[in-house]
Amino acid sequence: MQPRMLCLYFPGLAVDRLEREKPERRGTPFAVTQELNGHPHIAAVNLPARQAGIRPGMRLADARTLLPGLDAIPDDPEANRGVKRRFVEWCNRYSPLVADDNSGGIVINIAGCAHLFVDRMVERKASRGEAALLQDVQARIRRSGYRVRGAIAGTLGAAWALARYGKKAIVSREETPAALDPLPVEALRLPGEITLELRRVGITHIALLRRIPRQSLAVRYGPGILLRLDQAYGNAEEPLVPYRPPTPHRAIRTLAEPVATLGSVQYVLLDLLKEICNRLEKEHTGARRLNLDCYRVDGTVSSCRIGTSRPVRSITHLMRLFQEKLSGLDAGFGIETLVLSVPSFDELDSGQLNLPEFEADREDTELDGFVDRLGMRLGFDKVCRFRIHEDFLPERAVEFRPVTAEERSSASWPAYRIRPVCFIDPPARIEVPGAPLSEFRLGGERHRIVRAEGPERLTAGWWRDDSPSWKFRDYYRVEDDRGARFWIFRESDPARWYLRGHLP
Amino acid sequence: MLIVVVMPTLSQLREQIECLEGVQRRRLRTVPICGYIDKALPYNGLPLGCIHEMKARHLAGAIAFAALLAARIPGEGPLLFAAPDRSFYPLGLLPYACQPERWLHVTARRPEDLIWTVSEAVRCPRINAVLAIMPKTDFTFCRRLQLAAESSGTTGFLLGNASSAPASSAITRWRVSSVNGPPGRGFDEAFWELELSYCRGGRPGKWTVAWRSGGLERFRPLSPASIGPARQDTFEAARAKAG
Repeated sequence: MQPRMLCLYFPGLAVDRLEREKPERRGTPFAVTQELNGHPHIAAVNLPARQAGIRPGMRLADARTLLPGLDAIPDDPEANRGVKRRFVEWCNRYSPLVADDNSGGIVINIAGCAHLFVDRMVERKASRGEAALLQDVQARIRRSGYRVRGAIAGTLGAAWALARYGKKAIVSREETPAALDPLPVEALRLPGEITLELRRVGITHIALLRRIPRQSLAVRYGPGILLRLDQAYGNAEEPLVPYRPPTPHRAIRTLAEPVATLGSVQYVLLDLLKEICNRLEKEHTGARRLNLDCYRVDGTVSSCRIGTSRPVRSITHLMRLFQEKLSGLDAGFGIETLVLSVPSFDELDSGQLNLPEFEADREDTELDGFVDRLGMRLGFDKVCRFRIHEDFLPERAVEFRPVTAEERSSASWPAYRIRPVCFIDPPARIEVPGAPLSEFRLGGERHRIVRAEGPERLTAGWWRDDSPSWKFRDYYRVEDDRGARFWIFRESDPARWYLRGHLP
Repeated sequence: MLIVVVMPTLSQLREQIECLEGVQRRRLRTVPICGYIDKALPYNGLPLGCIHEMKARHLAGAIAFAALLAARIPGEGPLLFAAPDRSFYPLGLLPYACQPERWLHVTARRPEDLIWTVSEAVRCPRINAVLAIMPKTDFTFCRRLQLAAESSGTTGFLLGNASSAPASSAITRWRVSSVNGPPGRGFDEAFWELELSYCRGGRPGKWTVAWRSGGLERFRPLSPASIGPARQDTFEAARAKAG
């Protein structure tokens, strides 16, 4: 069957999205801006801004001189892609072959689908076919608040061009050359610099381009231009790579006889894990969270949830994590169905874990498994690595960084700044009854100082946002007459002494 | 008629006792502590894959002594520190050749979580050593830990202050007390009295050592008279000395 391509083009996707998010934006002029050479430029404008003379491509500063009250909203490509993806998924109602064309539109191969649609807008004669389908899809998208232009043609290239630049919406295979010839060269999906070159030499329309011998076109502008021409006119194949929604990771086992013992649940779970891990292996992903839902004969569901510190697809690792939780599972009168699902997963490169040379890998996963079990029981914020900051204030130098957080490099610490092994935070008040550094009292116990090293003055840092109330603290390392060592400091006005830590 | 009575030799008897105790002396891997202490120990060093107990009046001494031994254990695996709070400060161990990047710190406020963490960690062969601040231990727990450590090869150090209960089935039990060093020595050196109160298969002992320039060495304690009056070194002087 000859392909019939429907191309949908969204001329103001970002603007329409913003207006849909906040309908009150519709009345006030606003612009979507993008950074270009370090300056915000206007990428798109809404109707009131356009009426005020603001055009895409202007600098924001220039636009603001025209219209001081112009609201500038930075573009969010991720959100735009999200809207497009939802439309792609939605367009599956017209045909299973839908793809994002990666340039602001959607392409659907509607060959063999058009006769299913009836145009209900025209009541007198219910028309069937491509016109009805196009009418239907455009009306539905417009009703959801997005502007759209659609065109149907025999090739992807022609539909793309007609949706953006054409006048006629539906073009049969025979009419294609006649419909494409008067269009501007931009309609050929060429890189910007080539269309600019073509315009510079006076080739403004596709008809003019087609008059030039193919050989010289290829020599001057590269073979890409011929490919695009052929694709548009149907002389070269252009496959459509349809979007496939990701199927959820789920494995189900329904049992002939309900089970109630831990051993049999483990047996079924192992089977489920094998299926899930096989699939994760194929997709080069690893699970971050897993749910096991056990459907009991009395109609209730008991569940186990586990999480991991990094993507995992090792069956033994996941099985051990589940074993910690399975003891809390209430089987009641028996479980008849077990469902294992993976609500969250991440990329994980495949490793050849079976070869003896990769023993180190196996040991690493062993450590990961241990860290995961700690995190599952205590919470992942309780399992930390240390990161040293380039900051001499002792309360800021050491960060307890959860193992799940991404690794950051530590600063190197100067050896002469000797720090305690036990840190007291907040610092404990000590009394200094006599001359400074001769003795101090801590909780009724008197320590006679025989040695002191200091002061190491640490200032609070006026440049910080969360600057503390004190200005500076003079830190001393002291040793009492029994050999015990302390890290104490004196705070500036009012002068007070505190114990900050113990040295070995 | 001649009756031959085979008398077991002393070494055979020792072997039998070792089998009963579950510690096979000759197979143990060890790390050196300090030349003249190693000679006094039956294992010729601190045995690995065992549980050791270290106590001090101020925990800092026990942590530093355990950490410097843990850092000497060969292998790239992490060192695990388990404690009920976050008072551990890894920068303090820099003079003891123990880098902050090697640590994995676990905060477990409830005692049962702490006990669980330590027993899991000792079972994991990828962990080089486990340091745990254990306020309470019981005999069964210690015995289990010891068996787990023997099978995995991970070394455990149970740290506590003088008031916490003794870990009854540890292979060695130490008490670390700080003593005054000679005048003019910086705070990157440490002076300890190490008291070995129990050593399975060995005799208790008491030694004074100094930690200086990356090693423990013998040190004769000072008489109280020679400690002298208070003296103060400036931070700048310490900095200049460190270069």
